[in-house]
Amino acid sequence: MKVGHVVAACRIVLLLGALALAGCASYSDSFGVVERNLSSRQYDAALQDIEKEADSKTGRALYLLNKGMVLRMKRDFTGSNQALEAAKAEMERLYAASVSENALSFVVNDATVSYAGDDYEQVLVHLYMALNYLELGQPGDARVEALQVDIKLREIGEKIPGNKFTEDALSRYLTGMIYEDLGEWSDAMIAYRKAYEAYQKYQANYGLAMPDLLKRDLLRLARRQGLTDEVAYYSKEFGIEPPHEEDRATEHEGELVFILNNGLAPIKREKVVATSGPPHSVAVELASHKPVSPAPPVLVNIALPYYESRPNGVLGARVSISGRQASTQMMENIDAIARASLDARMPAITARSVARAVSKVAIQESVDRAGGRDNDLAVELLSSFVVRVAAMATERADTRSWLTLPANVQLARLALPPGSYTVRVDLLGAGEQVIASSEYPEVIIGEKRKTYLTQHWVSN
Amino acid sequence: MMRPIFSQHRLAALMALCMSLAVAACSTSVTRMDTGEVKDLSGAWNDTDSQQVSEEMIRDVLDRPWIGEFSRAENRQPAVIVGEVSNLSHEHINVNTFVADVERALINSGKVQFVASSTERQEIRGERKDQDLNASEATRKAMGQEKGADFMLKGTINTIIDASGKTQLRFYQVDLTLISLADNRKVWIGQKKIKKLVERSNLRF
Repeated sequence: MKVGHVVAACRIVLLLGALALAGCASYSDSFGVVERNLSSRQYDAALQDIEKEADSKTGRALYLLNKGMVLRMKRDFTGSNQALEAAKAEMERLYAASVSENALSFVVNDATVSYAGDDYEQVLVHLYMALNYLELGQPGDARVEALQVDIKLREIGEKIPGNKFTEDALSRYLTGMIYEDLGEWSDAMIAYRKAYEAYQKYQANYGLAMPDLLKRDLLRLARRQGLTDEVAYYSKEFGIEPPHEEDRATEHEGELVFILNNGLAPIKREKVVATSGPPHSVAVELASHKPVSPAPPVLVNIALPYYESRPNGVLGARVSISGRQASTQMMENIDAIARASLDARMPAITARSVARAVSKVAIQESVDRAGGRDNDLAVELLSSFVVRVAAMATERADTRSWLTLPANVQLARLALPPGSYTVRVDLLGAGEQVIASSEYPEVIIGEKRKTYLTQHWVSN
Repeated sequence: MMRPIFSQHRLAALMALCMSLAVAACSTSVTRMDTGEVKDLSGAWNDTDSQQVSEEMIRDVLDRPWIGEFSRAENRQPAVIVGEVSNLSHEHINVNTFVADVERALINSGKVQFVASSTERQEIRGERKDQDLNASEATRKAMGQEKGADFMLKGTINTIIDASGKTQLRFYQVDLTLISLADNRKVWIGQKKIKKLVERSNLRF
């Protein structure tokens, strides 16, 4: 066998291998089954489906994130924390960029690189772990997560200077509540101030208004700490009367913090931007040094991801406990954050796709030339064909993202005297119409303590 | 004529890289280590830190005059109880290991007695209640005979993190305090500081 044969055969093997690596369905397409199970609250079935990804080398972080999220929907908070802690470790390992994976991504597609999580996803892991610990009644451990969020946010802010997502308002707000619960008032005040700054950025970047809850907390805590200038400032800024001295009757009251994880985060889909025919410059180049053999036309496409929001009729929730009611307020719009994050990354993703298209053209062209020298028509045609199919099929958009995150997070706080309560939650659609209701019996409210309750609603 | 973007050699090299990626396999390997050996993996709080803290604390707590002073005044050994050692650090640290080390060293020194902690007491009280019903008269232990503690051991773990790029400076400070239950006097404060420089790698295979 001639050397040319071997080289041509090796190339085919390489491209077939790449084809196998890329798979046929994109990541987000395979998520439909899990989503259906989640909307019908079949968490065990959803977990079984997620478990299929357990051995995925490049998607291990995503597998753990999804597992952690579904386990917490199942109210297995300890199991959820184990999965999310493992996800954190995996994402930390992936901080170092892989040489081999990136080399492969240059000829195959972006999905060959291990998924380390978007910035906002890396922050939200801590948020959900903190919520798990809070629901387990371990505010000390939730405090650990709050400190880790602080470190993570500092790292993100430093890494990409022009980044829109440098502060996570809900994490800061939750941090404030955790400190307050532990009696660390000055730290709580600092956290609320940071949340205030973060919501100002949210208003500008994602159109999310400052929640009233935070306004009242800022005023209340500033008053408590004797920061009279700050009380006056916030009072003027928000147009709210400063609170009066704490009422003796409500002094011993505890509080229910209800968190609604509403819907599912947007899903990345693939759009094929350009098909068949190389970029102009490559075509010129090809024409210039390949004038003789009329090889089949070079095929190239560019596949790019875009976000698609998932439909959800629920706009908010109303929490009722023994005659008292509170409505949830929007605290975090993950849908908008995810979209903005992809927008910011789009130029880089597009540039990589174009570079990849160029390299795929070069490979096709080089296979054609190698075949031409062999004068063996069968090998030539076969290799030309395979290399084209592979080039087309391997070009897939990277549609990976943490899909079990909610589209938005809402929160309600309700002060209650210590005791055991049945909590009723009504999910409201347009025009305050009740879409679904659920009851949580025996929710214990402790004296001067916060009790956390979360619900994740996935619409059909 | 212009050169093709991909030369034969480059393609071959790329191919070799992809192949080796596919072949790369791994099997589990286990190596037994001495528990005193220092091995830092991630830079997080580990067994070495816990041991260093307990050694430092034990050396310090046994050297100080509070034991002698108490024994002279009361004519008996002090009884100590372990209170909460709260983790105020940024890591999920298991404080039980070094608290147990300190406890063991104090008991084994023969100079101090230890009283069961509040969670342990609940379990023992349950057992005594059970004895009340089921154990024979001769072996039954009466209620209300528990020994009250003279001192409570409390503490905190704090961290300060300074990070820039891939470099991180981690500072741990562990404080243990022994407080007299009779008059809230702090009779001993032990402190151990640990400082680590963690450099993260930018590249992996």
